[in-house]
Amino acid sequence: MESKMIDHLFRHHYGKMVSVLTRIFGLAHLETIQDAVQDTFLKAALSWKNNPPENPEAWLTKAAKNRVLDIFRKLQAERKRVPESTNGIEAIAINELFLDSEIADSQLRMIFTACHPSLAPTERIAFSLKTISGFSNKEIASAILTKEETIRKRVSRARKIIQQKNISFQIPIGRKLPERLESVMEVLYLIFNEGFQSNRSDILIRKELCGEALRLCKMLLLNKKLRSPKVYALFALMCFHAARLDSKIDAEGAVVDLMHQDRNLWHFPLIRMGNDAMSKAVEENVYSSYHYEAAIAAEHLKARSFERTDWDKILLWCERLYEIQPSAFARLQLASVQLQRNELETANQILRGLDPSDLGQRGYLYYGFLAEYYRKQDEIPKALACLDLAILSVSNQSEKKYLEKKKQSIQPT
Amino acid sequence: MRRWLRLIGVTFNLKCKIMKEFMMIFIGADYADLGLSPEEMQGRMGKWFAWGNKMEEAGILRGGNALTPSVRRIVGENRTVTDMTSAEIKEIVGGYYLVEAKDFDAVEAVAQDFPDYDLGGTVEIREIMVFDR
Repeated sequence: MESKMIDHLFRHHYGKMVSVLTRIFGLAHLETIQDAVQDTFLKAALSWKNNPPENPEAWLTKAAKNRVLDIFRKLQAERKRVPESTNGIEAIAINELFLDSEIADSQLRMIFTACHPSLAPTERIAFSLKTISGFSNKEIASAILTKEETIRKRVSRARKIIQQKNISFQIPIGRKLPERLESVMEVLYLIFNEGFQSNRSDILIRKELCGEALRLCKMLLLNKKLRSPKVYALFALMCFHAARLDSKIDAEGAVVDLMHQDRNLWHFPLIRMGNDAMSKAVEENVYSSYHYEAAIAAEHLKARSFERTDWDKILLWCERLYEIQPSAFARLQLASVQLQRNELETANQILRGLDPSDLGQRGYLYYGFLAEYYRKQDEIPKALACLDLAILSVSNQSEKKYLEKKKQSIQPT
Repeated sequence: MRRWLRLIGVTFNLKCKIMKEFMMIFIGADYADLGLSPEEMQGRMGKWFAWGNKMEEAGILRGGNALTPSVRRIVGENRTVTDMTSAEIKEIVGGYYLVEAKDFDAVEAVAQDFPDYDLGGTVEIREIMVFDR
């Protein structure tokens, strides 16, 4: 018998079931719930080795339902406070919580819990990836280039804060909703960027993070109360960036810059999805940073070749972005666009006003662009010196190789 | 008609003579103790399914079972009883498959697809003993 499993079934199912069971038993029992769900997969692994189920997903859901009683007994044995909704008579209500629409609702509750302002942004990311997306600590660590131990600490700290502050398992209502939704979008944006910007050569892990951010963002859009032009803009932005993911890394795992990317590799269905989302995002004429970032990404996608990029238009979007979000990164982006437009002195001035330490781990980009400025001014020794500084401050290996290659290409022979 | 029957009988006998039954016994750490993530477990399951399908399509699969990781041992004259978990025993028999094959080499070829070598797993191939009637 042929038994097919959809991609990431276990991982996604883990997130679904943890959310549903949390809705039944409460956030206080999150750890017990996570262990129980993990146990379901072990049981599945054992029994499936010889008897693959016809419908793996249904099998897993049924197993998770059966777990409800197990958890209930376990909590009683530990003499923990057991929520009233498990009094047997409520069995029908519990059954309803396993309906698709209710599962989605439970997952949204979990996302909003994960993005509670009491948690630090790094904790929100780790907790989300673990609880909603079903990543293991090890997988999170390797995806966002941190130590496994650090992730373990972040997740358990997040869990502790949620319990101490008695954070309720709900999507906030009223005035609190926009604020929390903002935080949710920010976390999704960060998760996406961990995948998109990381420059790690393992394209699979990067795709998984981007895919996860897209999936969660889509869940927001599917909910009438949560969808807004801003969420659409975020979704569009992710689609536009994700469409280029395959072309960002060559067969040897080396970084390919925008100029040299094979534009035939860009993923058209994602671009179209981004376009659809973008048209909904601009319906209300209120623009956020996500709108401008999406517009910039779209402008790159529109150009048939790098040479035909409409840099004036990109400059306009970059300036607007800088107006509402005057960050060091937005400034750096402005400088890079001016370099492309050969407005060298303007670019130089923008760069001078920047402090590379404001860019954190990406400080090397500052020296990279400064090198580009000197190269265009034909001041090769200065350009080389800047590239040396960039190479010195970059931590990522493939990015380092890219800079070294660049250095070789401008070295006088 | 009689001739047909005889012919079938002959081929059947021939087949029995050539094919033997073997047991592939799987030994290794328990999945629970390895702390596999949901994604990793799904990857494993996919490979187990593929392997099972392949053997079934080849028509060589005769049976098999997976074993739970709880162990009760009864040892020696005094019938000393110990309950153990997989965590206490590094190597545990996790399951077996029964297959029909010509010889050890043929089973060895089949066992190439065992999914858990990378987890330090072992496949032990044993021939089922046949007694004369």
